[in-house]
Amino acid sequence: MDFIPGGELSRRIRDGDVSAESELIRQFEPGLRVLLRRRTGGDYGLLQDLVQETLLIVIQRLRGEGIDDPQKLAAFAAQTARNLAIASLRKAERQRTDVDSEATERNADPSQSVDRIASDLEAALAVRALLRELPQARDRLMLKRYYLEDHDKDLICQELELSEAAFNQALSRARRRFRQILEERGFAKRDLLSLGI
Amino acid sequence: MNQDMIDQYISGSMSESDAQAFEEHCLANPEFARQVEYEQRLKIGIAQVASGSTAEFVRSESPLRWSFAAAAGVLIALSAVFYVWNTSHTPVPTIMAAVVDHSPVGDASMRLALVRGSDSIPSLPGGLVRVEIVGLFEAGNFYSVALDRREQNQNDTIATLNDQRPSSPMSLDVLIDGKQLRPGSYSLRVRKQASGEEALDFSFLKP
Repeated sequence: MDFIPGGELSRRIRDGDVSAESELIRQFEPGLRVLLRRRTGGDYGLLQDLVQETLLIVIQRLRGEGIDDPQKLAAFAAQTARNLAIASLRKAERQRTDVDSEATERNADPSQSVDRIASDLEAALAVRALLRELPQARDRLMLKRYYLEDHDKDLICQELELSEAAFNQALSRARRRFRQILEERGFAKRDLLSLGI
Repeated sequence: MNQDMIDQYISGSMSESDAQAFEEHCLANPEFARQVEYEQRLKIGIAQVASGSTAEFVRSESPLRWSFAAAAGVLIALSAVFYVWNTSHTPVPTIMAAVVDHSPVGDASMRLALVRGSDSIPSLPGGLVRVEIVGLFEAGNFYSVALDRREQNQNDTIATLNDQRPSSPMSLDVLIDGKQLRPGSYSLRVRKQASGEEALDFSFLKP
Protein backbone atom coordinates (compact mmCIF):
# COMPACT_ATOMS: atom_id res chain seq x y z
CA MET A 1 0.00 0.00 0.00
CA ASP A 2 1.13 3.54 -0.67
CA PHE A 3 2.44 5.71 2.11
CA ILE A 4 0.36 8.82 2.71
CA PRO A 5 2.36 11.83 3.95
CA GLY A 6 1.57 13.21 7.40
CA GLY A 7 0.32 16.51 6.04
CA GLU A 8 -2.31 14.85 3.88
CA LEU A 9 -3.36 12.44 6.65
CA SER A 10 -3.72 15.36 9.08
CA ARG A 11 -5.86 17.33 6.65
CA ARG A 12 -8.13 14.39 5.82
CA ILE A 13 -8.66 13.45 9.47
CA ARG A 14 -9.45 17.06 10.34
CA ASP A 15 -12.04 16.99 7.53
CA GLY A 16 -13.70 13.91 9.09
CA ASP A 17 -12.36 11.26 6.70
CA VAL A 18 -12.68 7.97 8.65
CA SER A 19 -10.62 6.05 6.08
CA ALA A 20 -7.70 8.37 6.81
CA GLU A 21 -7.90 7.36 10.48
CA SER A 22 -7.66 3.70 9.43
CA GLU A 23 -4.73 4.58 7.21
CA LEU A 24 -2.99 6.36 10.08
CA ILE A 25 -3.39 3.23 12.24
CA ARG A 26 -2.06 1.03 9.42
CA GLN A 27 0.96 3.24 8.88
CA PHE A 28 1.95 3.98 12.45
CA GLU A 29 1.04 0.86 14.40
CA PRO A 30 4.11 -1.26 13.43
CA GLY A 31 6.51 1.59 14.24
CA LEU A 32 4.79 2.29 17.54
CA ARG A 33 5.10 -1.37 18.49
CA VAL A 34 8.85 -1.23 17.79
CA LEU A 35 9.28 1.94 19.82
CA LEU A 36 7.15 0.77 22.74
CA ARG A 37 8.48 -2.79 22.81
CA ARG A 38 11.86 -1.27 23.58
CA ARG A 39 10.39 0.88 26.34
CA THR A 40 8.03 -1.55 28.06
CA GLY A 41 10.53 -4.22 29.02
CA GLY A 42 8.75 -7.11 27.36
CA ASP A 43 5.37 -6.38 29.01
CA TYR A 44 3.10 -7.19 26.07
CA GLY A 45 -0.09 -6.05 27.80
CA LEU A 46 1.39 -2.64 28.54
CA LEU A 47 2.76 -2.44 24.99
CA GLN A 48 -0.70 -3.02 23.50
CA ASP A 49 -2.29 -0.52 25.87
CA LEU A 50 0.21 2.18 25.02
CA VAL A 51 -0.01 1.59 21.25
CA GLN A 52 -3.78 2.01 21.38
CA GLU A 53 -3.56 5.00 23.71
CA THR A 54 -1.03 6.72 21.46
CA LEU A 55 -3.15 6.20 18.35
CA LEU A 56 -6.27 7.48 20.10
CA ILE A 57 -4.46 10.58 21.36
CA VAL A 58 -3.03 11.33 17.91
CA ILE A 59 -6.36 10.82 16.17
CA GLN A 60 -8.24 12.93 18.71
CA ARG A 61 -5.65 15.66 18.42
CA LEU A 62 -5.94 15.67 14.61
CA ARG A 63 -9.74 15.69 14.81
CA GLY A 64 -9.52 18.73 17.10
CA GLU A 65 -6.86 21.38 17.33
CA GLY A 66 -4.37 19.60 15.04
CA ILE A 67 -0.59 19.72 15.41
CA ASP A 68 1.84 22.56 14.77
CA ASP A 69 3.63 20.94 11.85
CA PRO A 70 1.49 18.28 10.11
CA GLN A 71 4.50 17.25 8.01
CA LYS A 72 6.05 15.97 11.23
CA LEU A 73 3.12 13.77 12.18
CA ALA A 74 5.35 10.69 12.63
CA ALA A 75 7.62 12.58 15.00
CA PHE A 76 4.60 13.82 16.95
CA ALA A 77 3.22 10.27 17.29
CA ALA A 78 6.63 8.93 18.31
CA GLN A 79 7.05 11.59 21.00
CA THR A 80 3.51 10.95 22.27
CA ALA A 81 4.35 7.25 22.63
CA ARG A 82 7.62 8.03 24.42
CA ASN A 83 5.83 10.37 26.85
CA LEU A 84 3.21 7.72 27.59
CA ALA A 85 5.91 5.10 28.18
CA ILE A 86 7.75 7.42 30.57
CA ALA A 87 4.51 8.26 32.41
CA SER A 88 3.67 4.59 32.68
CA LEU A 89 7.12 3.81 34.06
CA ARG A 90 6.81 6.58 36.64
CA LYS A 91 3.39 5.35 37.65
CA ALA A 92 4.73 1.83 38.09
CA GLU A 93 7.61 3.18 40.17
CA ARG A 94 5.20 5.16 42.37
CA GLN A 95 3.00 2.12 42.87
CA ARG A 96 6.01 0.09 43.80
CA THR A 97 7.10 2.55 46.44
CA ASP A 98 3.55 3.07 47.74
CA VAL A 99 3.35 -0.55 48.76
CA ASP A 100 5.89 -2.31 50.91
CA SER A 101 8.84 -1.89 48.60
CA GLU A 102 11.03 -4.38 50.43
CA ALA A 103 8.36 -7.05 50.28
CA THR A 104 7.84 -6.32 46.59
CA GLU A 105 11.53 -6.70 45.95
CA ARG A 106 11.55 -9.96 47.82
CA ASN A 107 8.49 -11.49 46.22
CA ALA A 108 8.27 -10.18 42.70
CA ASP A 109 10.36 -11.30 39.80
CA PRO A 110 9.70 -8.71 37.06
CA SER A 111 10.96 -11.04 34.37
CA GLN A 112 8.28 -13.53 35.32
CA SER A 113 5.15 -11.36 35.32
CA VAL A 114 2.11 -12.90 33.66
CA ASP A 115 2.29 -10.44 30.78
CA ARG A 116 5.94 -11.11 30.19
CA ILE A 117 5.65 -14.87 30.25
CA ALA A 118 2.80 -14.79 27.74
CA SER A 119 4.59 -12.30 25.56
CA ASP A 120 7.76 -14.35 25.42
CA LEU A 121 5.94 -17.63 24.93
CA GLU A 122 4.83 -16.79 21.40
CA ALA A 123 8.27 -15.82 20.19
CA ALA A 124 9.76 -18.77 22.07
CA LEU A 125 7.46 -21.22 20.26
CA ALA A 126 8.59 -19.84 16.93
CA VAL A 127 12.25 -19.99 17.96
CA ARG A 128 11.82 -23.62 19.06
CA ALA A 129 10.29 -24.44 15.67
CA LEU A 130 13.16 -22.64 13.96
CA LEU A 131 15.80 -24.48 16.00
CA ARG A 132 14.22 -27.82 15.15
CA GLU A 133 14.51 -26.99 11.46
CA LEU A 134 18.08 -25.77 11.44
CA PRO A 135 20.11 -28.72 10.17
CA GLN A 136 23.51 -27.63 11.42
CA ALA A 137 24.45 -27.30 15.07
CA ARG A 138 26.74 -24.48 13.99
CA ASP A 139 23.77 -22.36 12.86
CA ARG A 140 21.98 -22.81 16.18
CA LEU A 141 25.11 -21.94 18.09
CA MET A 142 25.57 -18.87 15.91
CA LEU A 143 22.10 -17.60 16.88
CA LYS A 144 22.83 -18.15 20.54
CA ARG A 145 26.13 -16.31 20.34
CA TYR A 146 24.70 -13.42 18.37
CA TYR A 147 21.31 -12.79 19.97
CA LEU A 148 21.74 -14.13 23.46
CA GLU A 149 25.35 -13.41 24.26
CA ASP A 150 25.63 -10.30 22.05
CA HIS A 151 28.95 -11.45 20.65
CA ASP A 152 30.52 -9.49 17.86
CA LYS A 153 30.11 -10.91 14.33
CA ASP A 154 33.85 -11.15 13.79
CA LEU A 155 34.33 -13.08 16.99
CA ILE A 156 31.58 -15.54 16.10
CA CYS A 157 32.99 -16.05 12.60
CA GLN A 158 36.40 -16.73 14.08
CA GLU A 159 35.09 -19.12 16.71
CA LEU A 160 32.86 -21.07 14.33
CA GLU A 161 35.27 -20.86 11.40
CA LEU A 162 32.81 -19.04 9.21
CA SER A 163 33.38 -16.49 6.50
CA GLU A 164 31.49 -13.22 6.91
CA ALA A 165 29.41 -14.05 3.84
CA ALA A 166 28.44 -17.45 5.23
CA PHE A 167 27.55 -15.84 8.57
CA ASN A 168 25.35 -13.22 6.92
CA GLN A 169 23.68 -15.81 4.73
CA ALA A 170 22.89 -18.14 7.64
CA LEU A 171 21.61 -15.29 9.79
CA SER A 172 19.47 -13.92 6.99
CA ARG A 173 18.01 -17.39 6.34
CA ALA A 174 17.18 -17.82 10.04
CA ARG A 175 15.50 -14.41 10.21
CA ARG A 176 13.46 -15.12 7.11
CA ARG A 177 12.37 -18.52 8.39
CA PHE A 178 11.45 -17.12 11.83
CA ARG A 179 9.22 -14.57 10.16
CA GLN A 180 7.64 -17.25 7.96
CA ILE A 181 6.90 -19.45 10.98
CA LEU A 182 5.17 -16.60 12.76
CA GLU A 183 3.21 -15.64 9.66
CA GLU A 184 2.14 -19.20 8.88
CA ARG A 185 1.17 -20.27 12.35
CA GLY A 186 0.00 -16.97 13.82
CA PHE A 187 0.78 -17.94 17.38
CA ALA A 188 -1.91 -16.59 19.67
CA LYS A 189 -1.57 -14.24 22.55
CA ARG A 190 -3.33 -15.37 25.67
CA ASP A 191 -2.09 -12.86 28.18
CA LEU A 192 -4.91 -10.35 28.17
CA LEU A 193 -8.16 -10.71 29.99
CA SER A 194 -11.19 -9.40 28.16
CA LEU A 195 -14.04 -7.45 29.63
CA GLY A 196 -17.64 -7.09 28.49
CA ILE A 197 -18.47 -3.42 28.12
CA MET B 1 18.61 2.56 7.36
CA ASN B 2 20.25 -0.86 7.09
CA GLN B 3 20.63 -4.15 8.96
CA ASP B 4 23.54 -2.82 11.01
CA MET B 5 21.36 -0.03 12.35
CA ILE B 6 18.61 -2.50 13.19
CA ASP B 7 21.18 -4.60 15.06
CA GLN B 8 22.42 -1.54 16.96
CA TYR B 9 18.88 -0.51 17.88
CA ILE B 10 17.91 -4.01 19.07
CA SER B 11 21.07 -4.47 21.10
CA GLY B 12 20.63 -1.05 22.72
CA SER B 13 24.00 0.21 21.54
CA MET B 14 22.55 3.13 19.58
CA SER B 15 22.67 6.63 21.09
CA GLU B 16 19.34 8.03 22.29
CA SER B 17 19.20 10.69 19.58
CA ASP B 18 19.96 8.14 16.87
CA ALA B 19 17.39 5.78 18.40
CA GLN B 20 14.75 8.51 18.22
CA ALA B 21 15.54 9.19 14.57
CA PHE B 22 15.43 5.44 13.92
CA GLU B 23 12.00 5.19 15.60
CA GLU B 24 10.62 8.05 13.54
CA HIS B 25 11.88 6.30 10.42
CA CYS B 26 9.98 3.20 11.60
CA LEU B 27 6.78 5.20 11.98
CA ALA B 28 7.14 6.55 8.47
CA ASN B 29 7.97 3.11 7.01
CA PRO B 30 5.61 0.39 8.27
CA GLU B 31 7.27 -2.44 6.34
CA PHE B 32 10.68 -1.52 7.74
CA ALA B 33 9.12 -1.37 11.21
CA ARG B 34 7.75 -4.90 10.78
CA GLN B 35 11.23 -6.11 9.89
CA VAL B 36 12.60 -4.52 13.07
CA GLU B 37 9.78 -6.00 15.11
CA TYR B 38 10.60 -9.52 13.90
CA GLU B 39 14.16 -8.95 15.00
CA GLN B 40 13.00 -7.80 18.43
CA ARG B 41 10.83 -10.87 18.77
CA LEU B 42 13.57 -13.21 17.59
CA LYS B 43 15.85 -11.89 20.30
CA ILE B 44 13.09 -12.17 22.92
CA GLY B 45 12.27 -15.70 21.79
CA ILE B 46 15.88 -16.83 21.91
CA ALA B 47 16.28 -15.38 25.40
CA GLN B 48 13.11 -17.15 26.52
CA VAL B 49 14.13 -20.53 25.05
CA ALA B 50 17.56 -20.20 26.63
CA SER B 51 16.22 -19.11 30.01
CA GLY B 52 15.70 -22.69 31.14
CA SER B 53 18.51 -24.44 29.32
CA THR B 54 20.63 -23.86 26.25
CA ALA B 55 20.44 -27.54 25.28
CA GLU B 56 18.30 -26.80 22.23
CA PHE B 57 21.04 -24.65 20.78
CA VAL B 58 23.77 -27.23 21.10
CA ARG B 59 22.01 -30.53 20.44
CA SER B 60 23.45 -32.76 17.75
CA GLU B 61 21.45 -34.59 15.14
CA SER B 62 20.46 -38.14 15.94
CA PRO B 63 19.43 -40.72 13.30
CA LEU B 64 16.76 -41.91 15.74
CA ARG B 65 15.12 -38.49 15.52
CA TRP B 66 14.30 -39.12 11.86
CA SER B 67 12.76 -42.49 12.67
CA PHE B 68 10.49 -40.84 15.21
CA ALA B 69 9.67 -38.07 12.74
CA ALA B 70 8.75 -40.61 10.06
CA ALA B 71 6.56 -42.57 12.47
CA ALA B 72 4.87 -39.37 13.63
CA GLY B 73 4.28 -38.37 9.99
CA VAL B 74 2.51 -41.65 9.25
CA LEU B 75 0.36 -41.27 12.37
CA ILE B 76 -0.58 -37.70 11.47
CA ALA B 77 -1.48 -38.73 7.91
CA LEU B 78 -3.70 -41.57 9.18
CA SER B 79 -5.35 -39.25 11.70
CA ALA B 80 -6.02 -36.70 8.97
CA VAL B 81 -7.64 -39.31 6.72
CA PHE B 82 -9.81 -40.53 9.62
CA TYR B 83 -10.77 -36.95 10.54
CA VAL B 84 -11.72 -35.99 6.99
CA TRP B 85 -13.75 -39.18 6.53
CA ASN B 86 -15.47 -38.69 9.86
CA THR B 87 -16.33 -35.03 9.44
CA SER B 88 -17.54 -35.48 5.88
CA HIS B 89 -20.14 -37.98 7.15
CA THR B 90 -21.39 -35.99 10.14
CA PRO B 91 -23.50 -32.80 9.87
CA VAL B 92 -21.82 -30.02 11.87
CA PRO B 93 -23.99 -27.36 13.53
CA THR B 94 -22.92 -23.75 13.03
CA ILE B 95 -21.36 -22.40 16.20
CA MET B 96 -20.02 -19.10 14.88
CA ALA B 97 -21.04 -17.10 11.82
CA ALA B 98 -20.03 -13.90 10.10
CA VAL B 99 -22.31 -10.87 10.32
CA VAL B 100 -23.64 -9.96 6.89
CA ASP B 101 -26.44 -7.71 5.69
CA HIS B 102 -29.18 -10.28 6.12
CA SER B 103 -27.86 -11.77 9.38
CA PRO B 104 -30.40 -12.25 12.18
CA VAL B 105 -30.29 -9.56 14.86
CA GLY B 106 -29.63 -12.18 17.55
CA ASP B 107 -31.25 -12.81 20.91
CA ALA B 108 -28.64 -10.79 22.78
CA SER B 109 -25.40 -8.88 22.28
CA MET B 110 -22.04 -8.71 23.98
CA ARG B 111 -19.07 -6.36 23.58
CA LEU B 112 -15.55 -7.58 24.16
CA ALA B 113 -12.53 -5.34 24.64
CA LEU B 114 -9.07 -5.94 26.01
CA VAL B 115 -8.57 -4.41 29.42
CA ARG B 116 -5.28 -5.16 31.03
CA GLY B 117 -5.39 -6.08 34.66
CA SER B 118 -9.11 -6.72 34.74
CA ASP B 119 -10.10 -9.63 36.92
CA SER B 120 -13.61 -10.13 35.56
CA ILE B 121 -14.39 -12.18 32.50
CA PRO B 122 -17.68 -11.55 30.65
CA SER B 123 -20.32 -14.24 30.34
CA LEU B 124 -21.92 -15.17 27.06
CA PRO B 125 -25.72 -14.72 27.21
CA GLY B 126 -27.93 -17.59 26.04
CA GLY B 127 -29.23 -18.03 22.49
CA LEU B 128 -27.84 -16.41 19.38
CA VAL B 129 -25.46 -13.65 20.46
CA ARG B 130 -24.10 -10.83 18.36
CA VAL B 131 -20.57 -10.24 19.62
CA GLU B 132 -18.86 -6.92 18.98
CA ILE B 133 -15.07 -7.20 19.28
CA VAL B 134 -13.61 -3.80 20.11
CA GLY B 135 -10.09 -2.97 18.98
CA LEU B 136 -8.11 -1.12 16.35
CA PHE B 137 -8.76 -2.63 12.94
CA GLU B 138 -7.59 -1.65 9.49
CA ALA B 139 -10.51 -1.24 7.15
CA GLY B 140 -8.75 -2.63 4.09
CA ASN B 141 -7.61 -5.87 5.73
CA PHE B 142 -9.11 -9.30 6.35
CA TYR B 143 -9.10 -10.85 9.80
CA SER B 144 -9.50 -14.42 11.01
CA VAL B 145 -11.54 -15.12 14.13
CA ALA B 146 -11.00 -18.43 15.93
CA LEU B 147 -13.20 -19.65 18.75
CA ASP B 148 -11.18 -21.69 21.26
CA ARG B 149 -12.38 -23.76 24.16
CA ARG B 150 -9.93 -23.78 27.08
CA GLU B 151 -9.51 -26.86 29.16
CA GLN B 152 -6.68 -27.52 31.60
CA ASN B 153 -4.16 -25.25 29.90
CA GLN B 154 -5.12 -26.63 26.52
CA ASN B 155 -6.91 -24.77 23.76
CA ASP B 156 -9.10 -26.52 21.23
CA THR B 157 -10.20 -24.48 18.26
CA ILE B 158 -13.85 -25.33 17.67
CA ALA B 159 -14.74 -22.79 14.96
CA THR B 160 -12.87 -20.43 12.67
CA LEU B 161 -13.99 -17.62 10.41
CA ASN B 162 -11.60 -16.31 7.79
CA ASP B 163 -11.73 -13.23 5.58
CA GLN B 164 -13.69 -11.11 8.04
CA ARG B 165 -13.84 -7.38 7.49
CA PRO B 166 -14.18 -4.99 10.44
CA SER B 167 -17.48 -3.11 10.64
CA SER B 168 -15.55 0.05 11.59
CA PRO B 169 -11.94 0.96 12.47
CA MET B 170 -12.84 0.11 16.07
CA SER B 171 -14.99 -3.01 15.84
CA LEU B 172 -15.53 -6.39 14.21
CA ASP B 173 -18.78 -8.33 14.68
CA VAL B 174 -19.55 -12.07 14.69
CA LEU B 175 -22.53 -14.20 15.70
CA ILE B 176 -22.13 -17.03 18.23
CA ASP B 177 -24.77 -19.61 18.96
CA GLY B 178 -24.59 -19.97 22.75
CA LYS B 179 -26.75 -23.07 22.66
CA GLN B 180 -23.96 -24.95 20.87
CA LEU B 181 -21.38 -24.23 23.57
CA ARG B 182 -20.91 -26.34 26.66
CA PRO B 183 -20.40 -24.43 29.93
CA GLY B 184 -16.76 -23.49 30.32
CA SER B 185 -14.05 -21.04 29.40
CA TYR B 186 -13.64 -19.77 25.83
CA SER B 187 -11.75 -17.19 23.88
CA LEU B 188 -12.06 -15.44 20.55
CA ARG B 189 -8.68 -15.13 18.87
CA VAL B 190 -8.53 -12.35 16.30
CA ARG B 191 -5.65 -12.10 13.89
CA LYS B 192 -4.89 -9.94 10.87
CA GLN B 193 -4.49 -12.29 7.94
CA ALA B 194 -1.36 -12.37 5.78
CA SER B 195 0.66 -10.76 8.52
CA GLY B 196 2.93 -11.99 11.25
CA GLU B 197 1.15 -9.83 13.78
CA GLU B 198 0.21 -11.40 17.04
CA ALA B 199 -3.35 -12.56 17.52
CA LEU B 200 -5.42 -10.95 20.26
CA ASP B 201 -7.41 -13.05 22.70
CA PHE B 202 -10.80 -12.05 24.04
CA SER B 203 -11.82 -14.38 26.84
CA PHE B 204 -15.37 -15.11 27.98
CA LEU B 205 -17.28 -17.70 29.95
CA LYS B 206 -20.25 -19.79 28.97
CA PRO B 207 -22.20 -20.28 32.23
